[in-house]
Amino acid sequence: MLLAAFDWHSLFFMFFALLTCGFAVAMLFSDNVVHMAFYLILSLGASAGLFFLAGAEFVGAMQLMIYVGGTLVLLIFGVMLTAQSRFISMKTRSGEWVMALVLGGSLLFLLLTAAFRVEDWRDGNPNAADIGIAESKTTTQIGMGFTGVRVDRLDAPEDSTLVPGMSGYLLPFVIVSVHLLVVLVGAAYMARTKRRATSTGAAA
Amino acid sequence: MIGISPVSVSHYLVVGAVLFVVGAICMATKRNALGVLMGVELVLNGANLNFIAFGSKYLRAESLGLDGQLIALFVIVLAAAEAAVALAIALNFYNNHATIDVDQASELKG
Amino acid sequence: MDPGHSISMLLGWAVVLPLCSFFVILVFGPRMGKAGEHAASLATAAIALASVLSFISLAIWLTSHRPSGASHGEAHALLVSPDASIVVRGQDPHEEGHTTAEPHSESHETEHHGEHASGDHAGVPIHYTNDFSAPGIGGPWVLGEFGSLRLSISYYIDSLTVCMFCMVTFIATLIHVYAMGYMHDELHDWTDPEVTLSNGEKLHRPGRYHRFFQYLSLFCFSMLGLVIAGNIAMVFVFWELVGVCSYFLIGFYVERKSASNAANKAFIVNRVGDFGMILGLLALWTGLGTFSFGDYDYVDSDGEKQAQIGIFTQVREAQSLVHGDGHGENRRMAAPDGMVRWTAKSEIASMVHDHQGLFDNDAEAIAATDAEAAFRTTDWRKNGYGYGLLILAGVGIFCGCVGKSAQFPLHVWLPDAMEGPTPVSALVHSATMVAAGVYLVGRFYPVFTPEVLLIIAIAGVITLFMAATIAITATDIKRVLAYSTVSQLGYMMMALGVGGWLAGMMHLITHAFFKSLLFMGSGSVIHAVHTNEMSEMGGLRKKMPVTAYTMLVGCLAIAGAGVPFIMSLLATGGNHEMLKGLGFSGFYSKDAILEQAYSFMQANDSAFAGVFFLAAAGGAAITAFYMFRMWYLTFAGEPRNQERYDHAHESPPTMYAPLIILSVMAIGVAWSPLQGLVAGSIATLVFLGLFIRCQLGHKAQHAEVEHVAHHDHADDHHHDDHGHDHGHADEHHHHDALPAWLSRLPLALSAVVLGVALIWTIGGFGDITLAGLLGQANPTNDLVGIEGVWLEGWTWPAVHEAHEPNVVVIASIVAIGTAFTGFFLATAMYGLGYLDPAEVRAQFQPVYRFLLNKWWFDELYDLVFIRPTHVVSGWISGIDRNCIDRLIDGLAATVRRFSNFWAWFADGKIVDGFIDGLAAKTFALGLSLRAVQTGRIRQYVMFIVIGAVAIFILISFFWNPTLAG
Repeated sequence: MLLAAFDWHSLFFMFFALLTCGFAVAMLFSDNVVHMAFYLILSLGASAGLFFLAGAEFVGAMQLMIYVGGTLVLLIFGVMLTAQSRFISMKTRSGEWVMALVLGGSLLFLLLTAAFRVEDWRDGNPNAADIGIAESKTTTQIGMGFTGVRVDRLDAPEDSTLVPGMSGYLLPFVIVSVHLLVVLVGAAYMARTKRRATSTGAAA
Repeated sequence: MIGISPVSVSHYLVVGAVLFVVGAICMATKRNALGVLMGVELVLNGANLNFIAFGSKYLRAESLGLDGQLIALFVIVLAAAEAAVALAIALNFYNNHATIDVDQASELKG
Repeated sequence: MDPGHSISMLLGWAVVLPLCSFFVILVFGPRMGKAGEHAASLATAAIALASVLSFISLAIWLTSHRPSGASHGEAHALLVSPDASIVVRGQDPHEEGHTTAEPHSESHETEHHGEHASGDHAGVPIHYTNDFSAPGIGGPWVLGEFGSLRLSISYYIDSLTVCMFCMVTFIATLIHVYAMGYMHDELHDWTDPEVTLSNGEKLHRPGRYHRFFQYLSLFCFSMLGLVIAGNIAMVFVFWELVGVCSYFLIGFYVERKSASNAANKAFIVNRVGDFGMILGLLALWTGLGTFSFGDYDYVDSDGEKQAQIGIFTQVREAQSLVHGDGHGENRRMAAPDGMVRWTAKSEIASMVHDHQGLFDNDAEAIAATDAEAAFRTTDWRKNGYGYGLLILAGVGIFCGCVGKSAQFPLHVWLPDAMEGPTPVSALVHSATMVAAGVYLVGRFYPVFTPEVLLIIAIAGVITLFMAATIAITATDIKRVLAYSTVSQLGYMMMALGVGGWLAGMMHLITHAFFKSLLFMGSGSVIHAVHTNEMSEMGGLRKKMPVTAYTMLVGCLAIAGAGVPFIMSLLATGGNHEMLKGLGFSGFYSKDAILEQAYSFMQANDSAFAGVFFLAAAGGAAITAFYMFRMWYLTFAGEPRNQERYDHAHESPPTMYAPLIILSVMAIGVAWSPLQGLVAGSIATLVFLGLFIRCQLGHKAQHAEVEHVAHHDHADDHHHDDHGHDHGHADEHHHHDALPAWLSRLPLALSAVVLGVALIWTIGGFGDITLAGLLGQANPTNDLVGIEGVWLEGWTWPAVHEAHEPNVVVIASIVAIGTAFTGFFLATAMYGLGYLDPAEVRAQFQPVYRFLLNKWWFDELYDLVFIRPTHVVSGWISGIDRNCIDRLIDGLAATVRRFSNFWAWFADGKIVDGFIDGLAAKTFALGLSLRAVQTGRIRQYVMFIVIGAVAIFILISFFWNPTLAG
């Protein structure tokens, strides 16, 4: 009963939102880069929870897998490769802090006002409870969307923008895949050790 | 109180805004190149949160639908790519300058 | 082939051959043997072939147009004498049929001959003897048509043309042969002794042998083309070609300042005359609408056959229109219709104006206007319309001739033309350049009105007297000859001017022979002694006998030596012609001139008219004087420069052979066969006797021979030659220096002359003489005495009046008397030394200086033309410099100043200032923005955030909530 009294959706949202923001802020105010990486992982993981709550299970899974499992591993590799003691924590001048906080604060203020400005955004979906969970529990729609077929929009054939072959994301998907490949090649190339340059540079 | 006001797009936007601003401040204040990278990741994540929020049927009756999730996926992929390249740059920078302090790299000074 | 056609073909080829030679030498000249030595052979072969063709055509002419032996003496008898053969030939149907295809054939002439003959029998007066469609008129090969003007290549062949061809080609051939010897210096590199370079050395240059002959060929082509030309435009073209050739040849030693100056002078002075000639051409075209001499048929653009009436016929028709028969009374020249109408063009214009609207169409109006104009032309002509134009045409043409033939105002170039090589002088002075002027006057004779004739006569008489007096004092052997040429040309012009067409033309031919002889002789002398100054010569007779005696022949010929009336002793009939006597060629032509002048004096009973005769007679005396002076100074007496004398030698055979041939021509060219027979027999007998005596060694007979020789030394030069030769028997050794055959040469030549004369007589050609031949082309036979329109009271006597016995006797006596006077005076002063020339000179010091300075003509021209021109040029250049230049300079300076200001203001301040300012501002902005570029990533992030905030703030200002939908 007690459990039913809770709006679990709101509760979990609050939980994950606080985690996300909290670890983000913690990361911001941490000087140690290793700690920063750790807080970032937590923050991003918490945001994945927010994705789940918003019904984007696949995106949330990707967030965990790619971000937390891939990108941040990369970052941590970077941290470890460069983590000499003098670089672990680098102080920033307080003037810059003040400046950044003032600016960040004003930006935050603006964003928050914008976020609550629109009526439509302020009210949640009152029928959210009616939406069946099973409806979106497969990745079929997303996969078909990437390959150019919008099965989620089959009910709107009168929409002229949904011409078959033009309504999906096949082309961006291909571009992004090529992009990834190029990026990986480029990253491998750039990050390779140039001993000679380093040694000569050190000697110089 | 919580039950009275169900979770709406605005809530998500607030979280996104906080992440965005924290990321931006992180970029502006961290001297470590990797710290700057992390700020970027936060900013991207904040933006992703907004896409997800606008595409969620639970938060809004007239949502973007699947488009929000698709774009969020692209952003994640691009963020991964960006992270790879940025890390490569950072390592290169570290190799060349023997430091990770971005303040030391002021070759672009006008 | 009919004779007219063959003659035109032959003469055409004779014209073209030298041109071909010219082009071949032009292209291949330097490659023709060593230093182009074969060029000479080619050029000589070409002109020799042309000469052969000319003589063949002369033979054809003589067989088809046999002249009457009576010549101009019985002009009318000649014309009316029915020549049976011609008339019969003319009636031959085959001949007629043939001639229809040949427009310029015999048929016209035969018809006219027949017409005249029958007309005379019927008692109808004859208007004119020469129908101008009668001579060989050919072409025209039209080059272009400009309105009524048809520029074409055509030919006009009458006996004058044929004579000129023979003379020109014959003399030119001899000169070519002579030049082959004379110019041999040019065969190799040559040092010109008269050109000193700036470094003090003498000019050393490659030989120009081929070029010399190239120019000679072009010269001959030009002259022949001029003679054969059938229209005045073509004449003008060849006229200028002759001029330019003379320019090339006079300036042949172009490195010599004097030579190039002389060439320029000749060319420029000729241009002055040619300006007048162009005026004349314009007047002719304006008035007559054609340049053609003769009539011809042509097919116009519509394909219809039209008759082009030539200049001569137009002039003649006007005369016969006005004067009707004009026979037996003095007539007046009249302007042809074309000139009359041109002058009356304002009347015709008003007539056309009046006729406008009266007729239905233009054709009727034109026809009516034509008819009325034709009707009124007679009145207009009576009022003197068009006569001025006719005079202008005549004077204009004569102006050209004045320049070309070196007449009085423009004579200054000819003596300077001596700067060319001597063969050129010979060619210029005899056959080509100066002959062209006289030839043109002769050719254009029908167009000249009495007024023009008087101008010609005055120019001629001034020239002849002035040049003769200058020649007295000249010491340069070629200069003497040059002034002699000028003087003789004056004779010709005067003869033409006083109505003696035949006399003038005859003198042209005879003079060509003896003057080329004299020039080549002088060239031979110069070649031997390498100087032109007669004061350096003397006694050369012993060194170079052939040159000496051939030149003596020339002197005798030009002096007009002869025995008058002697032939009348032998003549069987009472023919006036037989009053002529026996003499050198110059004797006949000069007699004819004097007769004409005397006749003119008689016809015009005024002192002024007498001047011509007196001047001619005086000129004859002076001519004889200076010619013998030259001969004596050169060949007689003691050597005045022993060194030069010792080096002197007789010229090679290529040089003296032409002299011998020319001397024969100079003696006999004007003979009739009877005279040839008599002179030939005498000479043959004398030389035969001399030869036998020489062979036998009877030198004791010399005195007798000398006596015989002196007795009639004027008879025959060979005779005379030997006379002198033996007269100085003590110097007989010079015979050894010469080939043995040379002593037999006079005999051989005499025999040849006798043989020719025999064939001439027996072969039935007894009536063929130079005078008779030329007489065929004589346009004045019809002039029964004419009067000028503007010159009241002046009469030009008819030709036959000059052959009245009283005229002939007086003129002959005067001629031979003056000639002997001159000869004796020269002998006394220079030959025998009775009179000291130095004393005479001192006595007439002012006159001597006046003559020595050539009447101060060059100085006069310098004063009258050149200095004023310089002064005026100075003024004009002053105006140019002070006014125009200053104005222009001022304008330029103003513009430059304004430009400077404008550059400073507009460009510097506005444009540059704007651009510079923009650049400076951009630079400053860049500098200020540069501070922003700290190179710090974190600051950049800050800027991004600031930008984002700013954008949000901006958006929030313009936020419209409805957009959110």
